[in-house]
Amino acid sequence: MKQNLMQRSLNSQECRTNRSASESSPLPLREMDGTVATINRWLSRTIGRALAVFIVVACLSDCSGETDNDSGAASPGGGSEKLTICLLPKIKGIAYFTSCAEGAQAAADELGNVELIYDGPTDGDPKKQAEMIEQWTVDGVDVICVAPNAPDVVANAMREAQDLGVIVLTWDADGVENARSFFVNQATAQSIGQGMVDAMVKDLGGPDVEGDVVIVSADATSANQNAWIDVMKPALEKTKLNLVTIKYPGENASAALADAQDVIKKYPNLKGIFGISSVSFPGAAEAVEQMGKSGEILVTGLSTPNEMKRFVENGTVKSVILWNTIDLGYLTILAAESLAKGELKPGDTTFQAGRLGEKPIEGDNILLGDILVFTAENIDEYDF
Amino acid sequence: MNALADIAIKLLRQREVGLVLLILLVTAIVSLVDPGFLDDRNLKDILVRSAPTVIVACGVMLVVVTAEIDISVGSLMALLAALMGLMISHNEWQLSMWIGIPTVLLCGTLIGLLTGALVTLGNVPSIIVTLGLLTAIRGATTLLMGGENIDGLPDELQTLSKVGPAGMPLGVWTAVAVLIVTQIIITHTPLGRRLFALGSSDYSARMTGLSATRLKLFAFAYTGFLTALATVVDVPRLPKIESGIGSGFELLVVTCVVVGGVSIAGGRGRLGGVVLSVILLTMVRPVLTFLDVGEAGEKWTKAIQGLFILIAVITDTVVSRSRRGGARNTSSRGTQVAVPRDATGGPAA
Repeated sequence: MKQNLMQRSLNSQECRTNRSASESSPLPLREMDGTVATINRWLSRTIGRALAVFIVVACLSDCSGETDNDSGAASPGGGSEKLTICLLPKIKGIAYFTSCAEGAQAAADELGNVELIYDGPTDGDPKKQAEMIEQWTVDGVDVICVAPNAPDVVANAMREAQDLGVIVLTWDADGVENARSFFVNQATAQSIGQGMVDAMVKDLGGPDVEGDVVIVSADATSANQNAWIDVMKPALEKTKLNLVTIKYPGENASAALADAQDVIKKYPNLKGIFGISSVSFPGAAEAVEQMGKSGEILVTGLSTPNEMKRFVENGTVKSVILWNTIDLGYLTILAAESLAKGELKPGDTTFQAGRLGEKPIEGDNILLGDILVFTAENIDEYDF
Repeated sequence: MNALADIAIKLLRQREVGLVLLILLVTAIVSLVDPGFLDDRNLKDILVRSAPTVIVACGVMLVVVTAEIDISVGSLMALLAALMGLMISHNEWQLSMWIGIPTVLLCGTLIGLLTGALVTLGNVPSIIVTLGLLTAIRGATTLLMGGENIDGLPDELQTLSKVGPAGMPLGVWTAVAVLIVTQIIITHTPLGRRLFALGSSDYSARMTGLSATRLKLFAFAYTGFLTALATVVDVPRLPKIESGIGSGFELLVVTCVVVGGVSIAGGRGRLGGVVLSVILLTMVRPVLTFLDVGEAGEKWTKAIQGLFILIAVITDTVVSRSRRGGARNTSSRGTQVAVPRDATGGPAA
């Protein structure tokens, strides 16, 4: 195993020197005409890939011969070998993913044997994501965790990485089925739907409060929203709140605002509105505020804290629900490490996730399921 | 008896009469179910929501009258909203409103002019040009906004967009002003008559020395300008500017123009019909809420809107067919028809 790692890192060093040579001398490169530069780039990439293939094949044949040695060497020295785990966000530099990276770094620090590389395109270009995956594959990292911006665009790079022995998993957003081993799924419909109903009941003053509530969704065909509604309906039946209607304004801010205004006029006993899309949540809050009902009619839903800060501050919204982004990064790195060490295998039904405790695995989805509730007390601590 | 029936048929053929009857009928039914529908607040809301559609429909109507079409206004609205947000929001570049708003109006007009240039000078069918722009402009908006939403527009603008003079927000007053100006253009200027003449018969218009290029450029630029105007007065009413603003707006506007009796083939149509159809279509959402159609019914909102389009297009076809089959002189019912369509031998609908 050590030998393999050395060979792989040797290979990656070769590639690095290769690349840095061309990078550190930009002038001659610029002087070259485009064709030569392209050929040069193509050559270095192809040679890099060919080397990587060659060495991985060599590793594999080595491994089969030295299985005994391998297991013997790996288990006692498990802590000393550094695993390189790459965390690829959809967009680098936005607060949402930065907070995920925070949790990831915490996991890496906790584990001690993980070198975390957090990098991604700043403009969310999936082609750049694919290029980064290719680069990391050539560099010989151990695990790549991808939050694909466009699953189809990055699928080839992910498969190629897998073929070359890199463990690939997805997080935050799933990729194409056969291009990854596991998906770290942040949001279970159960936890989100139940979380919103619980928050509404609590904000209205407890389980004995009676009154009407409305759900303002996205489209009647929106899969996520429908899954949450399927959880919310039975959950609401257990409370004294009465779900009077569900509106479908689509992803249209004007329609969401209009629908919320209309339900407020139509149902005088309305106590709460669930705005369950990124458009209908602020739309419903705006309607309540414009009609001077802040505090009388509460709005809750799923959003990032910055989007709703204004409405939390003026009392229209008491709770904003989101999955725990920090825990999402943390869980992803733990799962990545566990996969690399072979402790987590396909077919497992639970995963021991450090400080998060035991997490269920459904099929190949590792479920986070924890929600985070932003309120007036804690919303300023989060900046995304 | 026959005379009475004739009058009734003639009246019903007036698109405005039909629309008024439909609006009254719908209002009566909903008010029986829930008298709250007739509440001042609700009627005001319907007017406020109609305003941006009326403003933009005035421009698109003139485009359709010249036998072209513009289906890019929804995306254009999003782009201009993003631009406005970036310029004048106190979280962004913090420019003065008095610089930002004129710039938005100018950009809208220029993009409209560009659309017109592609159609006339580039000789590309307007449906293709604006379909392309619909996607391209939406893409540009997403890039411009970089995945983040914009809020923090100046308070004065936000307040004005919600409550203005006499309790009516800026949007409604702007819509009234635009209606008056557009009506004057149509009935009292040579420009308006030329637009209709061009739409009625491109060939005859050219023969009489009208410049199709210039007229169409005007119609598209006017639409661009009005889209910018609608953006400025209506978008601050929304909680934030997001890249999805105005999605589906282009179809709503075109629907209103067609349901309002403006012939897709050009040369025929009146502003009154367009305004009434905007109000009718804006009523669909609140009507469904007040009728309490229930969860299953809610899913029919889009289908009902689609049904209106079908009815409008079918009646348009039937009416023009019956006119063709009947006496030629009935074509005078469209007051703006300068040259009867049939004169060109082209299809009427």
